[in-house]
Amino acid sequence: MKILIAEDEIELQKSMATYLERDGNICETASDFNEAMYKVDLYVYDVLVLDINLITGSGLDVLRELKNNHKDTATIIISANNSLDDKLEGLDLGADDYLTKPFHLAELNSRIKAVLRRSKFGGDETITFNEIHINTRSRTAYIDNKPISLTRKEYDLLLFFITNKGRVLSKEIIAEHLWGDSSDMVDNFDFIYVHINNLRKKLTDAGAKYIRTAYGTGYKFMED
Amino acid sequence: MAAGTKKVSLIRKTSKTFLRISLVLMLVSTIALYFYVRYLLQKEVEEELRSTEARIESVISGNGLIYQLPPVVEIKNVSVLGTERLKDTVIFDPSQNEMEEFRELSTYSEINGEKYNIKVRALIVESDYILMAIVASYFIIIALVFIFLFYLNKSGNQRLWHAFFRNLEEMKGFSLNSEKPMQLVESEILEFSELNTEIVTLTDKVRSDYKNLKQYTEDVSHEMQTPLAIIQAKIENIINGDNLNDIQYEHLTSIQQDIYRLTQMNKRLTLLTKIENQQFANPEVLKLNLLVKKRIENFNEIFPAKIEFQEANILEVLMDHYLAEVLCDNLISNALKHSAENKTISISIGDKTLMVSNNGEVALQNPEKLFTRFYRESSHVKSTGLGLAIVQKICDLYGYKPSYSFADHKHMFKVEF
Repeated sequence: MKILIAEDEIELQKSMATYLERDGNICETASDFNEAMYKVDLYVYDVLVLDINLITGSGLDVLRELKNNHKDTATIIISANNSLDDKLEGLDLGADDYLTKPFHLAELNSRIKAVLRRSKFGGDETITFNEIHINTRSRTAYIDNKPISLTRKEYDLLLFFITNKGRVLSKEIIAEHLWGDSSDMVDNFDFIYVHINNLRKKLTDAGAKYIRTAYGTGYKFMED
Repeated sequence: MAAGTKKVSLIRKTSKTFLRISLVLMLVSTIALYFYVRYLLQKEVEEELRSTEARIESVISGNGLIYQLPPVVEIKNVSVLGTERLKDTVIFDPSQNEMEEFRELSTYSEINGEKYNIKVRALIVESDYILMAIVASYFIIIALVFIFLFYLNKSGNQRLWHAFFRNLEEMKGFSLNSEKPMQLVESEILEFSELNTEIVTLTDKVRSDYKNLKQYTEDVSHEMQTPLAIIQAKIENIINGDNLNDIQYEHLTSIQQDIYRLTQMNKRLTLLTKIENQQFANPEVLKLNLLVKKRIENFNEIFPAKIEFQEANILEVLMDHYLAEVLCDNLISNALKHSAENKTISISIGDKTLMVSNNGEVALQNPEKLFTRFYRESSHVKSTGLGLAIVQKICDLYGYKPSYSFADHKHMFKVEF
């Protein structure tokens, strides 16, 4: 997959690229408004990760340019600004998602995959990991073609694990993904263990032992 | 100005003063007129009596004829001369066939060696009538004049102060959020014109200060979030790198937690500022029961079966939907955080009240500080210390009353709508 990261903070840009490249994606970067405009005009990307506040111009103009060229690029806006107006304007202009800084790279990764599913496959895609199949339209998971019953949160958790397979996920990252804005209602994430253990038990019972503990308190979804 | 002084509108106040002064003037002048006219009339009657008496004396000295005309003229021969007297008396008037009040002049004089007592009387009913007529008509005229003046004065004042009242209304509608300039009415009165200039200067200053403050809040939030994003992204890459041991991982996730706390604090401070700046201006009628149920469902996905909900009636409130959610969430999460493990918290909706309670051993030590920023009763619960401050701010915005009480081993947080 070809991804363009338009972000003027070089360190953040590099970190995002490092994380995303591990999945075999090709990441290109743009460090200011002009570079972003130039690359958007010249090349075709599957995904554009776009900072709304580029030093020399607005990310929204890059988005306009992209849409004017009728390019089929999924776009995720990242912004330090949590204001609803910016969010709505971005989504109105055709952005597919909006992330507020600071965000977890695992979260960015999962959002990128979600917008790709929506834009490229019309939301109807089956995600496969060995014997596990997930139908993202009906939101059901199958192990060896047998459906397994998951709660809404367990389904989200499984999808999050698979889209970030091989990565270490701390309970903080998982909690923020599962509960989004509501996660700031709780200041202790220990409750997350209950949900992970439930999911782990259901998967293990069906013969899929992929949820591993990493460094004592983190998790990793991987094959042996 | 002393607190609690009763406020009276300007027009009312001036009208009242005018009425009071004119009433006093009317009474005083009427009384003065009454006495003056009475004095004049008495003088007039006395003059008349004296001239009649002089005429009688001249008649007596001319032909010695004594004639009587009771009750108006009575002449008697007397042996001793008395002193002259002028008095009011009531005697029978045969022509009217009733008792009447007369003014009587009684004189003694010696004419041609004879001593006489001459009494001359005049009916004073007549002069009383004249007196009353004059005073009454004066009173009516002056009352009419005052009524006329009162309305003239009132409408004059209203016209005079019109610019002031218009501008006062405009100022009441002043909002920091609106960009539109104040539509002040120009006045040819110097003081009002000066007042307008001052108002414009002040509001411009307030607006620009407010804008700066808002900008500052936004800047801080913006400037803080980008470095946080960098730190967080790097930590994630380190965690996913090789050669990490458990202790290092522990440290890194602990940093993640602190970044999370900073982010939350930042979000909540921004929210507080937004509420203070009244940037939530979309009130709608909400059924709080439904909203609370939804929030409980939301929490139940995190903490299953720990929340009880009782509703005595349907509670409808007029407020911003997002703020209503925040209000409920903050009360519920506050209760959850401070509730002992495996204890249920309960939420109840009563008559215009929402109550959230959780178990506890003893009452809080400083309940008056509960709703202030960064106050934490205990240090073992990690929190931003802003949840209840936000509750307070939302209540302030809509005029609701939050309160805390402790009874039956329960901390109870109540909001009266």
